[in-house]
Amino acid sequence: MAGVGFRRWAQTLTKGRGVGISALLSGARAASGASKGSLPGPYPTTPAERAAAAKKYNLRVEDYEPYPDNGQGFGDYPKLPDRSQHERDPWYQWDHPDLRRNWGEPMHWNFDMYIRNRVDTSPTPVSWNSMCKQLFGFIGFMLFMFYIGEVFPAYQPVVSPAQERSDELFM
Amino acid sequence: MVTTTTRAVNAIFHQFSFARSVRHQINMADYKEAPLATRPRTLDPNDYFNLSQEKRRADEERAALRANLKRQYLTQLNNPSRTELIEDPALTRWVYARANPFPHFRPTFKTSLLGIVFGVVPLVTLYYIFKTDRDRKEAQIKAGTRDRKFNLAY
Repeated sequence: MAGVGFRRWAQTLTKGRGVGISALLSGARAASGASKGSLPGPYPTTPAERAAAAKKYNLRVEDYEPYPDNGQGFGDYPKLPDRSQHERDPWYQWDHPDLRRNWGEPMHWNFDMYIRNRVDTSPTPVSWNSMCKQLFGFIGFMLFMFYIGEVFPAYQPVVSPAQERSDELFM
Repeated sequence: MVTTTTRAVNAIFHQFSFARSVRHQINMADYKEAPLATRPRTLDPNDYFNLSQEKRRADEERAALRANLKRQYLTQLNNPSRTELIEDPALTRWVYARANPFPHFRPTFKTSLLGIVFGVVPLVTLYYIFKTDRDRKEAQIKAGTRDRKFNLAY
């Protein structure tokens, strides 16, 4: 709070002599920058607050669903579907093509996790059961075969009896 | 039956590929998606059955919101006298929300449990483990039973 006040003070002073000082004294502030009601706030309790929050986040009132109020620190931030940016249309003209996002679109709470370098929630080409069977089948088979190989070793150095006798001399 | 045969084939003959008399078909009707992943759109029943007027109206409202934002962005982008960066209020809100969770924090059972499990337990456990291990080694050194191979000075 004190930081914001000092910044405003510094901004009005640097605007010049006449207009700056009088603006500081009258308490007016510049119209640029984020307006007061546009930042996230506390969990909305009344329907009017919900409608205002939906408008703030550029969502329909029916689509706006805040995180449950369990004290974890979300406030009124909307709960968007947990979908990665991999799933978005690669051929649409996004405003930010590498992020596959348009300007002003509400960002998922874990947006930095869902970017295209990281977590991917898009559908897998093979079904989950098939993947599990293939992976664990392969690992299980290899473990089993290595176990068999320990019990019945197939490679042992073959030495003739004469060489064995001559080896013993150097023991 | 098909999937178990496929599994047996995969598990036993995974290095080899042999000509099969019957082509093993994978039936997409029993496709089960990975947990936390999505279903392909061609297998989503909503795309085929849930096509009501309400849904279309909702889609149109969303498109209207999107178009408004697009218009605002493109007006600023194509403004020839613009010199500054285009500020994205959604980005500002996201950064602010992620950086300021404490005004909305409340100590409940769940948050306290998370705090203890991730904050207190590792600290205490690691201290206990390292302390007992070091004390055991020190006692062995004092008793002369520890095999110390690496000399610091000769």
